[in-house]
This record gives sequence, C-alpha cells and structure tokens, in this order.
Amino acid sequence: MADIQERKIKDAQMRAQINQKLVETGERERLKELLRTRLVECGWRDQLKQYCKEVVKQKGLEHITVDDLVSEITPKGRALVPDNVKKELLQRIRTFLAQQSN
Amino acid sequence: MSCNGCQHLDELKKQHGTEPYKIIYSHFIVCKSADARRRKANQCICYVCRLYTPRLHACMSCVYIGCYGRGHIHEHAYKKEHYLAIDVCYGVVHCFACQDYVYDKELEEIARASTPKLALGVGIKMTFLEWEPNDQEIDLLRRNAKRRRVEERSTIGLRGLINLGNTCFMNCIVQALIHTPVLRDYFLADKHNCNIHMNLNNNNQCLVCELSQIFQEFYSGIQAPHIPYRLLHLVWTSARHLAGYEQQDAHEFLIAALDLLHQHCQATNGNVESGRPHHCNCIIDQIFTGGLQSDVTCKQCNNVSTTIDPIWDVSLDLGPASPATNGSHSSSLCSGYSNSPGNYDPTSLIDCLKRFTKPEHLGSSAKIKCSCCHSYQESTKQLTMKKLPIVACFHLKRFEHSTGYHKKIATYVSFPEELDMTPFMSSSRNNNNGYSLQVVQEAARSLSCENKYSLFAVVNHSGTIECGHYTCYVRQHKDQWFKCDDHLITKAMPQEVLNSEGYLLFYHKQILEYS
Repeated sequence: MADIQERKIKDAQMRAQINQKLVETGERERLKELLRTRLVECGWRDQLKQYCKEVVKQKGLEHITVDDLVSEITPKGRALVPDNVKKELLQRIRTFLAQQSN
Repeated sequence: MSCNGCQHLDELKKQHGTEPYKIIYSHFIVCKSADARRRKANQCICYVCRLYTPRLHACMSCVYIGCYGRGHIHEHAYKKEHYLAIDVCYGVVHCFACQDYVYDKELEEIARASTPKLALGVGIKMTFLEWEPNDQEIDLLRRNAKRRRVEERSTIGLRGLINLGNTCFMNCIVQALIHTPVLRDYFLADKHNCNIHMNLNNNNQCLVCELSQIFQEFYSGIQAPHIPYRLLHLVWTSARHLAGYEQQDAHEFLIAALDLLHQHCQATNGNVESGRPHHCNCIIDQIFTGGLQSDVTCKQCNNVSTTIDPIWDVSLDLGPASPATNGSHSSSLCSGYSNSPGNYDPTSLIDCLKRFTKPEHLGSSAKIKCSCCHSYQESTKQLTMKKLPIVACFHLKRFEHSTGYHKKIATYVSFPEELDMTPFMSSSRNNNNGYSLQVVQEAARSLSCENKYSLFAVVNHSGTIECGHYTCYVRQHKDQWFKCDDHLITKAMPQEVLNSEGYLLFYHKQILEYS
C-alpha cells in the first residue's frame, strides 16, 4: 500500500513539474492554440455548440447556469474529441519533454 | 445568465475601476514575457490542493487562487465574501453571489485587446477568431432572408460547361479551379475587390472578376450547363497563344490561367509583374505557390549551394530516364520543374516524386563553377520541397516532345487519395544527411497531418497526342466524386477516379496554418 501511495505522490509531483515547464516556456499556450485549431477543423466546436443550444432550449434560458451546462456537455465533449487529435497532442507533449530533457 | 454584468461586479468596478481585472489578466491569463510566465508557472496553483488543477479561478479582491472543480474557490468566496473571481484559463468573471458567470462589455474589451500580444509572446502566428458579422453584413443578411443550407447530399456547385469548339482543355481546368476548396471560399466570401474595371474603362477585362462570376454561376442553383464564352474571349485576348479553335494542352492553359489571375490580382494591388510565380500576397500565390529548393553539392569541396525558387506546379517525368547527357531537363515552361535520374519506369506518383527528389549526378559535360573552391567541378544536384503549397498540382508529363517525334506516354501511374509530402521536404533531406534522427520526432511527424494532402481533382486526357479529349473528376464534400465531361456531369466511384490515367493531379492540404 505504501508503494501505491508513494507512487501517487511522485506522479503528482511529476505532473506539477511538467505543467510548470509547459507554462514557463509558453508551450502550454501553443498546445492550447493547436488543440483549439484542430477542434475547429474537425467540426468538434460546431457539434458541441449545437448540443449546447439544444440543452439550453430544453432547460430554458432563464433557468440554466454554466454549471448545469458544463456537467451536461462535459462527457459528450470528451467523447467527441477524435483519437488522432489526442494522439497528435500527446506526441507534441512527448516531443517537447524530450527536447527539454536534452 | 446575465449579459450586462451584475450588481456585485458593478460595485467592485465603482470602487476600483477595471484595474483589478487588468492586473490579474496581465499576470495570470496573458503573460507576455518569459518572466511573467515563470511567475505564472510558480504561483498559479490551487492554494488548497497545492497543484495546478482544472478550472482555477483568481479572486478579484485578494488574488486568492482556488479550483472550481473541488469547490476551493467557492469556499474562499463565501468565507471572505469575495464574490468575484476570474477563470485563469479564459479570463471570464464568475460571481459566487449570483452563482453564474457574468459578462461585461468593458472587461471583454480589455481581454480582446490583450490576446494578440499573448500570441506573439509565445510565437503563435494568429489565433482563431470566430466570424462576427459587422453592421453592413447584418444589414445584408436581414435584407436577404433566404438561406441555403448545404446538406451532405446536395449537388450545389456542380454544373456542366458547354464546349465552344475544342475548348475541353479550358473546361476541365475551370472545373478543377471551381472545386478548389480554398479558392471557392475566397470567391464565395466575396474577397476580390477589383479596381481594374475603373482603370481600364472596360468591365470584362479582369480574369479574377470573370472567375468570380463563374463561381456565382456554379452556385446559383441553375442546372443547365454554363456557357463560358466570356471567359474564352478573355483568354483569347489575354493569352494569344491559346487563341483559335485548335486543341490545346490543359496544363499549358492551367499555367496561363494562373499567371493571368496572378497578374490581374496584382493589378488590383497596383504593381504588375508577369511570368514566374512570385511571393506576392495574391490569392493565387497564397494557394498555389510552393518553394522548390535546389541543392548543388560540389564534388571537390562538398560545398552546398542552395537556391529556392517559387513554383506553381510540379512536372514529373514518366518512362525510362533518358541517358544523363545534360542532367536535368528544365521544362520549357517557366513554372515547370523536372528532374529525371534513375533508370526505371515510375509506376506511381510516389515513384515519380522519389525520382524528382533524388540526388542527381551532373556529369562532366555539366561542370559548374563552385562558389567555394572557385573551380569548375562535377557536382550533384537535388531538388526538394522547401515550402509546400496549399494546393499541389502534379503534372504527369504524358506528352513527349523530343526532336523528331511527338508521342503520348499512356503508362499507368497510380496515385493515392491521401498523400504525405514529408519525405520530399527539404527538412527530410537535411535529416538524412545529418546525424541524430530522433525516434520521438519521427513518430510525431508521421502522426501529424501537417504535410498531408487529399486528392480533389483529376484531369484526364483520352486519345492521342494529335487528337483527344479532356475530362475532369472533381470531389464534392468529403468523398463524393463526379465526372465532368464538358456539359455532362455524372456520378463517379472513388475507385474509378483512382484507376483513371491521370494527367493533372490536384491535391489539397488537409490542414491549413493560420498565418
């Protein structure tokens, strides 16, 4: 059990470190922009927008909050991201980390 | 959801103005300098989790940072009665008293003004901005209430062209241009603002205007074939060598048409230059111009001299290589570049491109003075793509005009629906000659769609060199193909397109860079 605990802490530290590097270098912004671009290109943005409109219509504009909308569309939004977009982003992050460690 | 702020935000603005928003925005949301980014990397974490967690918000009263997902920013807001916090990813303001995000014109303006600076700071050329109609456009939309929705099965944009007497060479190119996605978007967005009209006192002298008109015709919804007599007249008066009722070469027409379009675009911008494609900003150059790199390596001192030329198309040799008498054959056309080492018959487009980019030994009869060792030496020459165009036109040189005989090479050359140009790029050449090939980078490149192209039009020639006919396959939507045979449009299967002989192949980049 201790091992798992230790591992979890290490993972968290690692994640924090990676994130720090990404922010520091501006790579995070570049990745964000790349992701945004890809999602627009593959129609994800339009699809999700359409879905949001439906949810708002269904619940009524007066009653809906952002929290409602977020919890409603998040699962769908995640599921709709194409695999190759995920792969490309992952690969970009790997490349970035490889460059950083050199 | 409120579009006009909320009372809590109004109060805060009354007390402190927009200053708190500006400060937080410039420190945590857009970081222009490396220093600011370092600060953000260190400080921008949830104060409870001590981690960078999703949906971090910064308190507008005391810059306490907490995450939204686990409710840490909520805790802070209610305990301290600091109800307003900014989302550090997007810069929107959340009011915990109203329990919703609030929108404020003034703050949005501040955010909008600083986004481009952020992009510049980290080397993003241009960020995506959604189209927002301006007043004039809103007015236009209101006055023209009829909308046409392009459905998956819609055939809008397909229209036959009447043959005006051996003008199939022109019709097939017009079909290919009309179905070039970026060109279509340009014209349907009404981007061509011509001033040739006024200059020349004549309202049908500009080929760009004529093409724009043809786009209107194709998308008007009329089914009857279009009669391109005005275009033909314009071609006859502007490109004399194509005038008359004789059969012409479709490739020659394509180059002449691109050149004229380019000139007329430039005339609109004030300066006219003709001939070679240039790195000007006209739509033709933006879409069709690529950069061809030529590296000549001196055999004596290994010095490499590099030149980069703009090109509109790539002419590829077919058939067995001719004996290396004069090395590379530059095609007579200014735009065409060709190269023919190797002793095999290429049977696919990839073969042709490999041959095109293969290092070629320039024999003893073609010695070049080396700029480094200042002597006439034998050398090797290699062509690679330095810059890829948005639309790549490949011209399979099926018509052989050697001294004494003319013949058509009807060899079958297969071509793919999806083409990756990465191996033919100058950067690949450098890597092969260089040392470390990072596995990670290799994998990234093959995954990325950066250099990938999709086939969208194929011009075919049937018959012999003296007498023949041109037809064109064009792609609609993502995968529907149609055969354009002058006035006749028929549905075609993708396999039929890929099995066709192929004379001019048009590929479109799958991903466009926003620059």
